Amino acid sequence: MINLILLFPILAFVILALFKKKFLNNLMINLYAVIHFLVSMAFCLNIDFLPMWKPCRFFAVDDTNKIFLAVMSVVFLAVAVYNNGYVQKETSLTKKLRHYTYMVLFFVFSMTGAVLSSNLGVSWVFIEGTTLASAYLIYFHKTKHSIEAAWKYVFICSIGIALAFVGIILMTVATGNLNTLFYRDLYNNAPLFNHFWLQLSFVFILFGIGTKMGLAPVHFWLPDAHAEAPSPISALLSATLLNSAFLMIVNVFRIMVFAGCADYARIMLLVMGFLSLFITAVFVYHINNYKRMLAYSSIENMGILAIGTALGGVGMLAAIIHLIGHSLIKASFFLTSGNILETYGTKKIKAVTGLLKRDRRTGWLWVASFVGIAAFPPSVLFVSEFLMVKTMFLQKHYLICALFLILLTIVIYGLGKAVIRMAFSAEKDENQEETSEKVKLDWTMYVPQIVMLVIAFTIGIYMPQGLSQMVLMAVAGF
Amino acid sequence: MENIFIILLGLTMIYIAATSRLAGHINMLIAQGWLLFFVCLSGFAKEPWFNWHMISGSQAIMDNMPHIIGLLFVIVETLIVKAVVIPVFLKKVLKRTQAHRDTEANVPHFYSLFIASIILFGGFLVANIASPEFKLVDSMYFGVSLAIIITSLWLITIKHKVLSNVIGFITMENGIFLLSLSVAKEMPIIINLGVLLDIFIAVFILGMLVNEINNEFDDLEVAHLSDLKDYEYND
Repeated sequence: MINLILLFPILAFVILALFKKKFLNNLMINLYAVIHFLVSMAFCLNIDFLPMWKPCRFFAVDDTNKIFLAVMSVVFLAVAVYNNGYVQKETSLTKKLRHYTYMVLFFVFSMTGAVLSSNLGVSWVFIEGTTLASAYLIYFHKTKHSIEAAWKYVFICSIGIALAFVGIILMTVATGNLNTLFYRDLYNNAPLFNHFWLQLSFVFILFGIGTKMGLAPVHFWLPDAHAEAPSPISALLSATLLNSAFLMIVNVFRIMVFAGCADYARIMLLVMGFLSLFITAVFVYHINNYKRMLAYSSIENMGILAIGTALGGVGMLAAIIHLIGHSLIKASFFLTSGNILETYGTKKIKAVTGLLKRDRRTGWLWVASFVGIAAFPPSVLFVSEFLMVKTMFLQKHYLICALFLILLTIVIYGLGKAVIRMAFSAEKDENQEETSEKVKLDWTMYVPQIVMLVIAFTIGIYMPQGLSQMVLMAVAGF
Repeated sequence: MENIFIILLGLTMIYIAATSRLAGHINMLIAQGWLLFFVCLSGFAKEPWFNWHMISGSQAIMDNMPHIIGLLFVIVETLIVKAVVIPVFLKKVLKRTQAHRDTEANVPHFYSLFIASIILFGGFLVANIASPEFKLVDSMYFGVSLAIIITSLWLITIKHKVLSNVIGFITMENGIFLLSLSVAKEMPIIINLGVLLDIFIAVFILGMLVNEINNEFDDLEVAHLSDLKDYEYND
């Protein structure tokens, strides 16, 4: 089954290149999304409907990456549905659309490869692949600003990934005579590793892959890229790309745990996590572009994931739950921001007034996504953040806990101020004339967000037995 | 023997730090490609499986097939990609964009030269002091590659032209390649393939972006690329 989701995009690529029909573009993305979804659900239910077709040894499904794959599938399916309506509005050029499709397929392919790979080196190669694919997607609008964002993205991430490679080289030094980079072998032999080189390697890998994940001191590409990319791509970047980078950090962190260097790694993760929260709290307060605002919120949530990982135990469990919730809600948030951009034609917060009057459904989706991301009770993020705070209390980190809560409150205030102003303010007079020629949005541009929010709020109240079992399995060993 | 090549590699970085002509930088990239190739070759000549008589006997070649594939791969990577393809491509970009000099670096050339020398010296120092600690790492390689990586990162921050940033990125990749040679055991081939992919595509994407930037802004100054901010920006 792994082969199916890894080979299908290549097949789709060939078909598209051969036939060049316009209807094929959306068809291929949708088909891939459906296949991706079915396969990952089959993995979750432990069904193998293609038992004869064994994948090569570089790819494997285990308890941890299963969840990442499932989250990616759900988000990708939603984005694919949304995309049907979006591209109609966005471009009529067949060639541009075809390039867009190629790159979306390649992007999802490389993220899937990064999540499924069972080898440190192969993960690295695929993470590199995601940079290349998404660079074009960020540059899709071909404006001065999108060029700037794409340039920063490629350059900063390439340097980050190169540094991560230095980390991998140092890891091979640390492994001594063990000549392999398979995670399984690394876990099994971790107690024998040289601690000095391992710690050095962790620093490089954390900073390098942390660049892709958007952790604070190295996050500079993230707001620009998320703000300039087309909205479905922003959703994919935020809800799946950052996760696949996070998975690699989790895997390397697990090596550190097995090697007995966990405390060192925890401190680094904790520092980076809190820096991310701090940066977001500082910048989100006065922000004037709503897509940038969402991008900063992604940095914040990645910081929370890092903190949860650093806490370990229940904190790690909370981090995985947080990851699920954040991906669903943030994807919905970004897709809704795409609707606003279509309706108002601007990314400025001040220029968007009376969203609820202008477009009722978009307005409520916007508010509901905010309620979700701010972790108000029915949202699953409430569960995860509550668990995290509880862990901090149990581990007697009162100061850290206070800092965590204060920073989160500032972030929520910053986000809430902007969202409430956009949604509930009275419509300005100058916009009154334009309302006669309302932009009509396709139904596909509402349904995906509704579904994702419903899932996120439902598992906040009731988490099915199977899902909680999966989450527990994923964090076993931390 | 290979120490000479490694020291020369370190010296190319000093030359890059001290000059502002981009064509000179690209020539240094060619030199680095060749030097890395020689370093690899001398590394292979020391391998126990290697002897010159092997070339005549087909059986010996068959026995050592994985090693030979590794050798061929290194030849392709260093000589063809690093010493030919990338420089030719960059020269083309240079010709089209007419950006011959990067004059307004933040740090004057004399100081650049000085700082780059200090970094290189620091690399040697680290290599010397720590060499008893390194069991699996060749200290000479390690020190110089560290110096190359740090110098490249520093050059990227002080240069003002987009193209010199790309050149800094490639020299950093060269430093990392040298670092991977310093590990006294074979790296899995998949890693080498990945690095090749990295350099190859990153350079082409960066090169294409350079072209786009040139078309859009008429000039390759990094200063144009600082419009996206959190406050007061017009979109």
